[in-house]
Amino acid sequence: MKILIAIGGKEFSKPTLDLGMKIANSFKSSTTIAYVGKKISQFSEKDVSVVHQNLDDRQLYRPGIRTLEWAYDFLISKKYIEATNTNKFDDYLLVDEENSRMKVLLKEQHSDKIDLIMRTGEIIEQLKDEVEVNKHDITIIGGGGNKGLHNKLIQFIDSAVFVVKNYSVNKEYKILLPVNDSEGSEKAIDTAINFAKSYKLKVEIVAVYEGKKSQEKTDKLLLKTKNKFVKNKINASTKILDGPTVNAIVNHAKDDSIIILGVSPKNPIMKYFFGSKPISIAQKCDCPVLITK
Amino acid sequence: MNESYKIISSSILFWFSQKKWFVYSILVSIFLLNLSTPIGLSVPAYHSLIILVLVFMLVTFEPIPFPAIALLTLVLQVVLGVAPPDQVASSFMNDAVLFVMGSLMFAIAIVHQGLDIRLARFIVFIFGRSKRMFLVGLMSISAILSSFLGEHTVIAIMLPIGLSVIKNIDTQQTDGKNAVLITLFSIAYGTIIGSIGTPSGGARNVIMINYLQEFSNVHIDYWKWMKHAYPILIIQLVVAYFVLQFTFPSSLKNIKMRGFKKNVENRSIKKDINHLFSCLIIIAIIASWFTFNDIYGLGIIALGGALIFMIFGMISWEEINKNTNWGVILLFAATISLGFQINETGASSWLVIKFNELLNSLPSNSMNVSWSIMAILSGLTANFFTSSATVSLIGPMAIELHPTDISFALSSAIASGFSFLTVISSPTAMILYSTGLVSTKVFFRVGILMFIISILILYLMSQFYWVTL
Repeated sequence: MKILIAIGGKEFSKPTLDLGMKIANSFKSSTTIAYVGKKISQFSEKDVSVVHQNLDDRQLYRPGIRTLEWAYDFLISKKYIEATNTNKFDDYLLVDEENSRMKVLLKEQHSDKIDLIMRTGEIIEQLKDEVEVNKHDITIIGGGGNKGLHNKLIQFIDSAVFVVKNYSVNKEYKILLPVNDSEGSEKAIDTAINFAKSYKLKVEIVAVYEGKKSQEKTDKLLLKTKNKFVKNKINASTKILDGPTVNAIVNHAKDDSIIILGVSPKNPIMKYFFGSKPISIAQKCDCPVLITK
Repeated sequence: MNESYKIISSSILFWFSQKKWFVYSILVSIFLLNLSTPIGLSVPAYHSLIILVLVFMLVTFEPIPFPAIALLTLVLQVVLGVAPPDQVASSFMNDAVLFVMGSLMFAIAIVHQGLDIRLARFIVFIFGRSKRMFLVGLMSISAILSSFLGEHTVIAIMLPIGLSVIKNIDTQQTDGKNAVLITLFSIAYGTIIGSIGTPSGGARNVIMINYLQEFSNVHIDYWKWMKHAYPILIIQLVVAYFVLQFTFPSSLKNIKMRGFKKNVENRSIKKDINHLFSCLIIIAIIASWFTFNDIYGLGIIALGGALIFMIFGMISWEEINKNTNWGVILLFAATISLGFQINETGASSWLVIKFNELLNSLPSNSMNVSWSIMAILSGLTANFFTSSATVSLIGPMAIELHPTDISFALSSAIASGFSFLTVISSPTAMILYSTGLVSTKVFFRVGILMFIISILILYLMSQFYWVTL
């Protein structure tokens, strides 16, 4: 499994980085930490590139490198990377790859588990390209920024998207798993099982009656899903929620929930113009939300 | 749902979400094409104005690459009957385009020589008595160099100097943050202000000189431009110094004037000779702009500079090719070509008539009002559209307002250089923004004050100083 963690400003990226690395460790996956620099006007892109080259030659950090250095030090401080006398960030090499991608190579870092990369340009385009080229399975981003950005990421990025909102390292989280009979929901259940097993998290499976006829079907679905968790020795409970789906889930979620959802089966054009339930839930909830694909 | 349908519709949606301004621009153009031609305007003239609107939208929102916008501009001029193919081709290349090309190549060659360290030593030697004097040095040297070599060259040389002196400042403290900002803005404002000083300071100046020659048969040489613009530059520098001191009060105690020292020690005789030779070439080119400008044109001389660097092996063609923004050269060539057609078809005259009709409807109408509207419009448009492209498209109208009075054309070109408001307005502003140390908000907050004062200075100088020349 390959995980992409997108970071921005130092302070706001701490929870994203921390949770992202926990997930990466639990799945024993390789991780790419990406900093996407500001989009440069076409008028000035060559000028900016010349200046940045100049800064490298003068051993002055180009924009973005400081953030990656901070991320690297943070990983060492949290013991995600083993601290040694030699694996300092001082001596790095920037390798210019294709499509505005630059890889940071540290002289003494021998692990290929963590990659540090810089990209420049429009964030959706850059992350989409990164996921497509390097086949990442999960993209983890912070909960800040505008909601439109999260919508577009969920819509256009070809990987599961984890929006890390209001995550606290010290809080004890439980998984909130809304289910229905869609294909996306099946994938969400599998992911939730892996997640809960790795972290020994409790799981609450919820469903909403979407009409009187569907009650029996929904009850069966809840029971079937709960059994899957029980088989994996995971502590799981079920609950039926009332009201419109999005509001019911948003109101039920607490700040210690991690919501895991499947992607909507809706037509992409309808989703783009009118949104979808997972997108609305990710927008309205104040807790981390993982949308699987 | 069918998987391939999902993939196709998702790809189309992604394309639309990235290129929506292209779609909107085309829809607006089709809508305008379907309206009846305004009275007093010929069909080619109307079509040239529709292309102008299209180019404005595409360049502002950048949904497609600049070379694509340039090609679209040329194709549409022919397809919509604005001008025959030969006329479009001949208006595509002139001295202004050669200047853009030559100055970009020349800039890359100069930056490649690594003159910044030597320049930093010079600034400390002359201005190193105090940190405030050092900032004055950064600003004034940036301005002087930028007035001759253009902002993109100077910001590339000066920014590493600025960043090396503020390298270890803690930006969490207000005093430290202000020290960083005042240093960076001193360089940026020096560079921006300097670019109005001489014709070679910016492509927009050369474009306007070219238009004046073509449309009004008025010739402005290097000296004449400097006599008009340099006093404005000097006053602006003084104002900018105080504006920055007022906006970013700082003790400057953490600025290390010799922050670049580590690099200075890596000297070699070969490098010294290279630097000396580079300086000689730069001086020779500037001297040629002064003396041979009338014979050879600014563009050919700039190309000559890049040529000498290449012939003597001081830079490779690969390096120049890699770092030259060919897209911008193509775009300027296409917009200048469009500017010529707007003038040739009579569209600029029609716009000026409408503009004067609008002015007549105002309670107080005078030359001052039309000057002010034109200068402010040029300045504002340049801030959202970049200066050279603004002059290439608005220039014909500015000249048409008063064809024999150069103050309108000069004011339009100079006001276009007041790129203080947005980070997209000039290479300097964009480079400053790309450091991540200056936000768009801070840039605008300081810039709005500088913009207003600069327009006032320009007005006063055009009214009271230019008339004496």
